[in-house]
Amino acid sequence: MEGLLAGNEDAVRTLYARYARPVFTLGLRLLGSVEAAEELTQDVFLAAWRKAARFDPARGRLSTWLMTIAHNLAVDRLRHETGATRPHLVLVDEVPEVATAGEEDPLAPVAERDAAIRALGTLSQADKRLLARAYFGGLTAREIAEADGIPLGTVKTRLRTALIKVRRANRDKERP
Amino acid sequence: MSCLEVRELLPELALGVLSPGERTEVERHLRWCAGCRKEAAELGQAAATLAFTLEPAPVPHGLGERIVERIERAAGAPGTPRRARMAAASIVAAMVGIAGLGWGSVMAGRAERFEARAAQAEMERAAALERFQKVLLGVVPDQELPARETHLGQLTPTADGRGGGAVLQLVSDRMLDFTVVIVNGLDPEDTDALPYRVELENAAGSVIRAGQIRELDADGGAEVFRQFRNKDLRGFTTVRIVDATGRIVLSGVVDQTS
Repeated sequence: MEGLLAGNEDAVRTLYARYARPVFTLGLRLLGSVEAAEELTQDVFLAAWRKAARFDPARGRLSTWLMTIAHNLAVDRLRHETGATRPHLVLVDEVPEVATAGEEDPLAPVAERDAAIRALGTLSQADKRLLARAYFGGLTAREIAEADGIPLGTVKTRLRTALIKVRRANRDKERP
Repeated sequence: MSCLEVRELLPELALGVLSPGERTEVERHLRWCAGCRKEAAELGQAAATLAFTLEPAPVPHGLGERIVERIERAAGAPGTPRRARMAAASIVAAMVGIAGLGWGSVMAGRAERFEARAAQAEMERAAALERFQKVLLGVVPDQELPARETHLGQLTPTADGRGGGAVLQLVSDRMLDFTVVIVNGLDPEDTDALPYRVELENAAGSVIRAGQIRELDADGGAEVFRQFRNKDLRGFTTVRIVDATGRIVLSGVVDQTS
């Protein structure tokens, strides 16, 4: 991270090798095109470089920090492009394939993915779907409540409870 | 906002579905409240887990190199945005100075405001003219830029803001209209303000986008060139630079009567 802060090229490459794929994948899922996902990935790493001084390892993991930057930038982009007050995120069922293979270490994201799937596995199908509708679908708690005909307070509580469960599962995994 | 109100919104902040207004308010609270900040970080980490569950897509070849290049450019290596901006500033300075265009007296007052830039530009005036012509080649087929169709404006900061800028518009019946915006002195540390968008507004309140500033150089500078294929810029004289939170940071008026 110090290297990134100093604009060190190797530090950027290391970070890229580790996280380019999940960042690009998230961009592809949220923005729906390879071009937009590539631009987003560039923006994320540039933002990470600019904000490196603000990253505090005591407050969270580097991967979380990067994915939060990526998600926020993607949502901001959708908001600016549509001019809407909330993102119109498209649920892409089949992520389009990119012709050329990547350059990063393929093992790292797999381990991260397995851990994520296990953590999400602690939730019921309904709660998984609820989180996905917000995170990937861009629906607010109010919109979910209206769509499903359930009280807003219930949706908010379920979102919070589901996130806390995932957090707990992540924490258990981190314990030796 | 109280801690209770903020905590109710934290799950939606973590999932990225708060409205921009709510997000700004919550983030303002988080700057000083360590307790809410801790909870926000925990929920944020849980939300990010969702991203890692996606089936990984292959990353386009060469993207890593392009990112390194972009960071090097932003860090101030040769060929930086600053140099590009200087070129754009030179274009404006050159345009102001070209007697043949016939804006002399109209632009004289404005030219003084660009004096510092113009002085720098004078050093490489020939090169600036060359670049100027290159830009025009892409925009104006016969390299002739009619003075009466070319207009200049100044951007000044809002009450408590900083920075400044210049705007050049071509408003023509025969050619594609374009806008060049150059800004200076915005806060390069304030990355939350990015991207800035450039807006043009007419007297009827219609607003059109004239591009985005996705990054600033170390001086808080950037330039935006936007050509409009299907838009007539006539009457779109109010120019605003708006940050990511919707705050107007710079504004000005282009005098299209000149």
